Amino acid sequence: MEYVDSLTGFRLDGRRPNDMRQIRGEIGVVAKADGSALFEMGNTKVIAAVYGPREVQNRSQQVNNQALVRCEYSMANFSTGDRARRPKGDRRSTEISLVIRQTMEACILTHLMPRSQIDIFVQVLQADGGTRSACINAATLALADAGIPMCDIVTSCSAGYLSSTPLLDLNYIEDSAGGPDVTVGILAKMDKVTLLQMDAKLPMDIFENVMQLAIEGCKAIAQYIRGVLLENTKQLECRRGV
Amino acid sequence: MVGLSEGEKRFIRGGIAQDLRTDGRQRLHYRPISVETGVIPQANGSARVRLGATDVIVSIKAELGKPHPLQPDKGKVAIFIDCSPTAAPMFEGRGGEELSTELSFALQRCLLGGRSGAGAGIDLSSLVIVEGKVCWDLYIDGLVVSSDGNLLDALAAAIKVALSNTGIPKVTVNLGASPNDQPDVDVSDEEFLQFDTSGVPVVVTLTKVSRHYIVDATSEEESQMSSAVSISVNRHGHICGLTKRGGAGLDPSVILDMISVAKHVGEQLMSLLDSEIAAAEASAEDQ
Repeated sequence: MEYVDSLTGFRLDGRRPNDMRQIRGEIGVVAKADGSALFEMGNTKVIAAVYGPREVQNRSQQVNNQALVRCEYSMANFSTGDRARRPKGDRRSTEISLVIRQTMEACILTHLMPRSQIDIFVQVLQADGGTRSACINAATLALADAGIPMCDIVTSCSAGYLSSTPLLDLNYIEDSAGGPDVTVGILAKMDKVTLLQMDAKLPMDIFENVMQLAIEGCKAIAQYIRGVLLENTKQLECRRGV
Repeated sequence: MVGLSEGEKRFIRGGIAQDLRTDGRQRLHYRPISVETGVIPQANGSARVRLGATDVIVSIKAELGKPHPLQPDKGKVAIFIDCSPTAAPMFEGRGGEELSTELSFALQRCLLGGRSGAGAGIDLSSLVIVEGKVCWDLYIDGLVVSSDGNLLDALAAAIKVALSNTGIPKVTVNLGASPNDQPDVDVSDEEFLQFDTSGVPVVVTLTKVSRHYIVDATSEEESQMSSAVSISVNRHGHICGLTKRGGAGLDPSVILDMISVAKHVGEQLMSLLDSEIAAAEASAEDQ
């Protein structure tokens, strides 16, 4: 199958190789949570909710010098194209929960909140490739909304390599093509990579290009997320009448 | 889950006794309801309903299946509700399973009628394509995104809206030569049939707090309830299903009184939903 049109250079959904899908972030979608956000990347749509910092629910998990960060990833029954009733806590979602937890833990200043717990719940409403990245971006927005101290914002984006072209932000069709899929998460301001995953094989020099493309994507998302947060802060300020 | 002080509890109960609740509503008033359709493009129909801070999404998917041998002239409908941990940390892991099952069964009772399919709000015989051979299996999946009480009413309303938004693909059937053959089915991607939702009931939950009962309780008010009765009412004012929750007993005369109140409130809710559906469809067409 031709993933990049050899004549026009367009991808299956009409994007150029280094185009991202339409992204949209919205803060405060779950009224009862301490912080929440919705993040869309094209048709991929996820909600993240943050509860905490609060008292540790399970005393044996308490850490005396830092906060306990927990994360749960779940997919709605209707999120995928064909309806599948998946059991909770299957291996894939456990792995993604772990990845999100580790990535977010890297940016939360956990030492400021000892003996407390922060819960991050991400719920996939629609999956169309790049759920991992979308979840991390949503979690960043939700953590910021909850007012949890962070050293930087984490953003994530994926890139792949199909038809001898590096492609940014793969959708489901491109993702399931079997080519390499590089997911990168960066700390935007410090310019450090906190998450890096790849499947399939790729020559060293091409990998560098693909990773660089994903990092560029992350930076673009970081800029957008900063804009959303700024807009949200302005609205809060306006409501307080400052 | 809801931590309330003694003073707050008295405030809630006192307000209900005086017909002025903590958010300024009267006992039989609903919170503002907002409706959005077509939120899940991959589904045949979907809706998001917000009732105050309660937020639910319902998606409907139709798949081709085989009718049950005992009811060859009826399609199949299944309702699954899932409580997302985003709604409350207690739904984490398997924590939401109990509530999810309770809600699924309550909705099945209210919308799908008896085991034979008699008295169902959804016309099951309209889902049959070839009697005894092919029918539509309708999967109704609900997701509780945010929970602030009265989930059952919100979910039932969302199912009603999602069904009105559902388009079932038109199918053409080529019957095989011998009657035992499985017929060939050609599903159209362009032509869709609308669903008749006039018979789908709404659910009105009356929550009893001390001596009075209220509609559309918030989670704070639900924490003070002694018992609750959910009544599903259709357009003709008929009762389609009934569930009582909570431990405290109810006087039979009170139940009859509640039913007549629910019927009255249900009619208002039904007309409100109808106008919301029309508005949501109009705005969806504009886009």
